[in-house]
Amino acid sequence: MSAVQPTTTTRARRARTIRERRGFSPLQVLLLGLFAVYSLLPLWWMIVTIFKDNGQLFTTPGLWFASPSHLLDNVRKVFTHQDGIFVRWLLNSVLYSAAIAVGSALTCATAGYAFSKYEFRGRNQLFGLILGTIMVPGTALVLPLFLIMQKLGQAGVPLINTPWAFILPSLVNPFGLYLMRLFWDSAFPTDLIEAARIDGASEATIFWRLGMPLVQGGLVTVALFSFVAGWNNFFLPLMMLNSTSLYPLTLGLSVWNNTTTGTERLYTMIVTGALISILPLIAAFLTLGRYWQGGLATGAVKG
Amino acid sequence: MRHRVTPWLFLSPFLLLFTVFYLTPVGYAVYLSLFIKKRVGFGPAKDVFGGLTNYVRALQDTDFLRSLANIGLFAVVQIPIMLIVAIAVAIVLDSVKGRAQRFFRTVFYLPYTIPTVIAGLLWGYLYSRNLSPLNQFLTATGRDPLDLLSSTVVLWSVANIVTWTWTGYNMITLYAALQNVPHDIYEAARIDGADGWNLVRRVKLPLLRPTILLTVIFSIIGTMQVFSEPFVLRPLGYVPDNITPNTYIYLAASRDVQYAYAAAMAILIALVTFLFSGIFLRYARLGDNT
Amino acid sequence: MRKGLIVSLALFTALSTVTAQSYQEPTLPKISGNTTLEVWSWVPNLDKTVKEFEKLYPNVKVKVTNLGGGPQTYTKLNTALKAGSGAPDVAQVEYGFLPSFIDTGGLVDLTKYGANASKNLFVPWTWGQVSPDGKAVYAVPQDTGPFAMVYRKDIFDKYKLKVPTTWDEYAKTAEQLDKASGGKVKMGNFYTTFAPWFIALAWADGGQFFKRQGDSWVQTLDNPSSKKVLNYWNGLIKKGYVGTLPAFSADYWNAAAAGQVATNFEAAWGPGGYASSMQGKSGGNWRVAPLPQWKAGGSASGNWGGSSMVVTTQSKNPAAAAAFALWLNASKTAVETNFKGAGLFPAARAGLKLPALNDKTSPPIKFFGGQNINAVYAKASEGVNVNFQWAPWYPAVDANFSKQIDAMVKGRLTPDQALAAWQKESLDAARKDGYTVR
Repeated sequence: MSAVQPTTTTRARRARTIRERRGFSPLQVLLLGLFAVYSLLPLWWMIVTIFKDNGQLFTTPGLWFASPSHLLDNVRKVFTHQDGIFVRWLLNSVLYSAAIAVGSALTCATAGYAFSKYEFRGRNQLFGLILGTIMVPGTALVLPLFLIMQKLGQAGVPLINTPWAFILPSLVNPFGLYLMRLFWDSAFPTDLIEAARIDGASEATIFWRLGMPLVQGGLVTVALFSFVAGWNNFFLPLMMLNSTSLYPLTLGLSVWNNTTTGTERLYTMIVTGALISILPLIAAFLTLGRYWQGGLATGAVKG
Repeated sequence: MRHRVTPWLFLSPFLLLFTVFYLTPVGYAVYLSLFIKKRVGFGPAKDVFGGLTNYVRALQDTDFLRSLANIGLFAVVQIPIMLIVAIAVAIVLDSVKGRAQRFFRTVFYLPYTIPTVIAGLLWGYLYSRNLSPLNQFLTATGRDPLDLLSSTVVLWSVANIVTWTWTGYNMITLYAALQNVPHDIYEAARIDGADGWNLVRRVKLPLLRPTILLTVIFSIIGTMQVFSEPFVLRPLGYVPDNITPNTYIYLAASRDVQYAYAAAMAILIALVTFLFSGIFLRYARLGDNT
Repeated sequence: MRKGLIVSLALFTALSTVTAQSYQEPTLPKISGNTTLEVWSWVPNLDKTVKEFEKLYPNVKVKVTNLGGGPQTYTKLNTALKAGSGAPDVAQVEYGFLPSFIDTGGLVDLTKYGANASKNLFVPWTWGQVSPDGKAVYAVPQDTGPFAMVYRKDIFDKYKLKVPTTWDEYAKTAEQLDKASGGKVKMGNFYTTFAPWFIALAWADGGQFFKRQGDSWVQTLDNPSSKKVLNYWNGLIKKGYVGTLPAFSADYWNAAAAGQVATNFEAAWGPGGYASSMQGKSGGNWRVAPLPQWKAGGSASGNWGGSSMVVTTQSKNPAAAAAFALWLNASKTAVETNFKGAGLFPAARAGLKLPALNDKTSPPIKFFGGQNINAVYAKASEGVNVNFQWAPWYPAVDANFSKQIDAMVKGRLTPDQALAAWQKESLDAARKDGYTVR
């Protein structure tokens, strides 16, 4: 494939009207319908469940509502359990994920730019090394990572039990780097750089003023996917954070879910919390859909 | 020549983080994998240099080898099913536009946004013996309920969660690739009389080829590291320790406190992944030449 | 006559004063200097309980981290102990997992801080758990899980069954119930993935699983009690009298609430979970009875779960940490709050006599028909064999149990074969980890 525009051109759009004039055939509707049911069924169960209490959860059919409704009760409990720590966790998640999204998009953008626009010794080997490390399973790296954090702490950079211990490692995003490199390759022609250099622009100006606006789609894509990865990660925060008040939402919910001792079992309240916790992600994907789909296409077509 | 330092300045933030939080832990894991525990009497064990002992142990550990076989079988079955569905749905979505299309696209994408911890909670319920809607249906129609969490089928219950989460993600990637195809290619094909299934087979699938290769590679890497899905099902029944290599490694490290042995197995897994990806790419490239 | 009355009245008053004041408080040391203690525990509401400690010691701050129960807490603790920093001052560890943490060398021997003086404050068998070699003391007992039988009174009444007191009667009752209900109601439920549940049943029969001998270990997972208990249960499972739903699962609560399970064997912390999980469904119909016996007239029991509080060697103020651990598990304030707020069944002897244990308005007691269930459990606690020991590689033993029992339930192994495999594979794992064990 030759270079592809990250955003859809008008010509391509017109072409689509040609190939899209037919509606769905019955077979297609069947395929889409079945797949939609498959995708939605577990979510439907969640929606039904937040209307129930534990007793109803275990004694009424799972895919339909039971009366009386316990929705308000569940929502109230989620927000008041343990002095309303859920809100704190929600805010933490937003904060951490936003930091991871922005930081990861920026580091991937600068590094991707270097790989795309400069010749330097060991370029391909380094790129290969970075992509190659994703093949090592992370589960065996917990202790090494913890030891490194601890050494950094002794060297005067205390990280353990601060959000940084979770945020900084999450910024390393080899797939994001790969995607950003492709974006730079396709969206920012080298001639433009040469012309700007002749005009006397500094390398930093070329990158920030000229380049960055052209790779917006890529930035949003990497940011969004890093946001989701940060939001859903519970293993790293589990190892690195000790204070309950620092937890992100996914970790907090998993702790609630693991509480099998005690006099209070929280099944339907946890499902309610889980449903609330995925709403921001769904919202982000819906509003930013235009960008990230274009972004994925770039990565995909060039692959 | 003018820019000997500049690229490294641009690289430095990423490279610094990568070195500290990725490369060093991997290097440390390699170092760690060369040690074995030695105990005399009671009390804490001493770590002594053991060379490749842990690697030899891993290659003789039938539980570990079984986990590799499990994941191999998983990959051979799950990746094609997931990708064939993703390709089919992407092509169907690509052929129509409008509100319905946007709706379906969003719906198919939703599972990807759900954290595995929560997905495990959902599916764990849908798999249960008495309460699963599927089993309630079977019981109501006079058949025996299925035990979807039984140790003999739980690998496939895990595969279903993986498929549920990732099919939509792959579908969007493929769909986006189709959307970016320049229009003249279609027009040319149409003039040649290609339509319907012919258009798909002769034009769309070849165009998707690089994207499909990419999704296969990422699926192979992802499959080799399947962990959270079986892990969240563990409290619900007997899920073997070695259902996947990664659960086995995790349990060796965290439950049995055998970090060195776990590190050795992780390195082996990375090598196997590298090998599989390489074999696949080589095979795919050979296909290019013919 | 009159004199006698006065004397007995006086005696009575004296006695009642003694009962009212008989809670034996621990002797707590002075703590000098300002200290912050970090505590890892999954006890609900602990962050509130520790406020009382801070009142007692205004110079000590206690920071509680709740990671939820289960493996992830241990992973974190193991990693921090191995790394040499990042561990808390005080951490919650279940009895069975205690030796594996002792083995890391990361726990403080509390005899340095006068732990032996507190020995008599706790139920005897728990002291054996925290001091496996009878010399060093590595933890303060927190709560216990003595075993008893929970059962559905309504089902027993409906089918006119007698509550069994021996295992022989239990099996016969199971058969009657199966016939009477047409197989719809199971007599019990075998938790196939919870080794400690099975071990508690064998423990009640005097089963010994691990022993230190000289400077090596002996492991006997296939001891005679194990064999007897597993063969017995396998028989009931095969006949269909007993189900195999996983503990704490949606399926189990569904079956229990729907009246498909007539009895089960639960630890003292179990009833609280029943009440809150089923939230009123089948409430009032449940009762607790002593564990059936192999010999009629006995009162033996085993223990499932329960935890202790350890002090790590990374603590900057182990004396304060030890004092906190003692206060948390022996003082009346803490023991009472932990029972009410978290359902912790006390390891402290004095705690077993607290009036709060029979609070008729508490959800578990209401769920169990107003019965004084904790009196049954307190009695069971006395019947727990004192000499039971665990081993440092118990986590691997625990996991391997589920594998062998799965094979047994599927009919691939006989009970004896399953136990032999459990013994052999656990032994191999221990040896590969460097232990000298027979």
